[in-house]
Amino acid sequence: MMIVREILALLAFVIGTAFGLVGMVGLFRFKDPYSRLHAGSLCGTTAVFSYLIALLLLSPSVASTLRMIILIVFFLISAPTGSSIVARFIWESEDAERQRSSMNREDKSL
Amino acid sequence: MNSRRTWALIRFGLTTLFLFVVWILFSADAGFFSLLFGFFISLLSASLTYHIFLPEHEANLRFFIPRPFSLIRFFILMVAALYASSFQVVKAVITGNTNPRIVHFRTRLRSDLARTILANAITFTPGTMTLDLNDDHLTVHWLLCSTTHAKAAGEAIKTRLEHALGRTWL
Repeated sequence: MMIVREILALLAFVIGTAFGLVGMVGLFRFKDPYSRLHAGSLCGTTAVFSYLIALLLLSPSVASTLRMIILIVFFLISAPTGSSIVARFIWESEDAERQRSSMNREDKSL
Repeated sequence: MNSRRTWALIRFGLTTLFLFVVWILFSADAGFFSLLFGFFISLLSASLTYHIFLPEHEANLRFFIPRPFSLIRFFILMVAALYASSFQVVKAVITGNTNPRIVHFRTRLRSDLARTILANAITFTPGTMTLDLNDDHLTVHWLLCSTTHAKAAGEAIKTRLEHALGRTWL
């Protein structure tokens, strides 16, 4: 039983590491900020989630299993919120820039 | 006035209960003094924060108490979507084929909690990320875009999630 759990955990660790690596490559490969955020945050979330699943499989007692489940739930709430905050900041600063440039154009036409 | 007070009491009780349950789970200790201490701390923080935790204008208990089975179903759907989505991003990274666009659409979910969770869930679904959420209007960045038409884009992105969420909250 223990060996099955260990093999599954190892599999989850490998999957997590693979996603993390490809996410890092994507961070440098994509050009615009949103796509970079996609690669970085989404693959990062999946990597950490896989690690947490692996730790859940390896946890020795009921108490630590419960706490691991709480950790997973809180992580699933906080990770997309964080990336949303960054994306929203980019979106709003681009919006302000667009408005400023359109105002400049109107000034020239006057 | 009286109904408002009852509503405030219900919200206060729910906040206390939630905090107490989280305390028990985190301390993992069912001793008498631990429970007593946790209960009083929950009472104190609930009395300070219940009007932020459960705002008064959310005038229905179904707005923030989920149905347990649909919650579990939604969670499983979410995890599947997380892996599928990461796989698509990995494919996009390797091939370099992307078509990033920004699309706008509306949701018909009514409670703030369900809308926030929808926004977070959209970040998990394949190739999409929420940029902004104003009332019921969502601004979404779509990495592998196939259409910019608001209704079609909305249907492609959110329909399944909205159904699952609509069964869980309101």
